[in-house]
Amino acid sequence: MKTKELGQQQIIQGLKDADTEVIDEFIQQFSRPLFGVILNYTKNPPDAEEILQDTLLRVIRKIDTFRQESDIWPWMKRIAINNSIMWLRKRRSSRGREIQLEEYAPTFSEDGHLHGSLFRWSVDPEDVILNAELASQLYEAIQSLPFEYRVPLVLRDTEGYPIKQIASLLGLKEATAKTRIHRGRLAVRKKLADYLEGRG
Amino acid sequence: MRNDLKCKDCFDLLMDYLEDNLDSETQKKLDQHFAACPPCLNFLESYRDCSKMAQQLRDQQVEIPKELENRLKTFLREQM
Ligand SMILES: [Zn+2]
Repeated sequence: MKTKELGQQQIIQGLKDADTEVIDEFIQQFSRPLFGVILNYTKNPPDAEEILQDTLLRVIRKIDTFRQESDIWPWMKRIAINNSIMWLRKRRSSRGREIQLEEYAPTFSEDGHLHGSLFRWSVDPEDVILNAELASQLYEAIQSLPFEYRVPLVLRDTEGYPIKQIASLLGLKEATAKTRIHRGRLAVRKKLADYLEGRG
Repeated sequence: MRNDLKCKDCFDLLMDYLEDNLDSETQKKLDQHFAACPPCLNFLESYRDCSKMAQQLRDQQVEIPKELENRLKTFLREQM
């Protein structure tokens, strides 16, 4: 993401001066990519829209703390991610369902052997860029996870955050963060495998 | 080197295996198991692929309704 239309310096200065034209331009340039980031944490439109609105406001209010020499996009994106997490933690009325390992793990015989009846997995991960239906199945599979599993998985697999950072961001022990990522992946894998097998 | 790892053991170590958290001897034992056990290899690949595919959602391109964009502009002007 590069700021091409208006230069980064002009945008920063304009936001500091509360210049309405620059604010409009800022929304034009950044609301779409920020919305894309936020939609990975919640697909519920009213939530996502409120988080976006709040994120834009926070960016403007914090613009004085931005270090000029760096690229503004990663900074804004981090605000969007932190804001999504904070918002969803506050919002969710009750704890989500726990994912039991047995639901999505493969089955083993008593002597610890994996049953060989798994269908043959043959997906090229790059397919997801080209195949809109596969991409949407993947997105839905991730979004169907309870909050406790979805957020660590997105932070790890989509954003590439280290486990240590995920744990501290979510106030979890590292081992707990790892378990949740693992179980979330198993659930996503199972859902996609069911989809691919059914499509067979 | 005796390889006494069962499929279940490999499954339990899967995440650490992919994160490179295992000592080199254990890592090697898993490599050997996967090379010799097609069901485990198939499972490993599907698990790893899902994790890789999720990366493609990074900075995804989405549409934003014009009307939402307008609402945001009005809202932010009011806040200034
Ligand atoms: Zn095996």
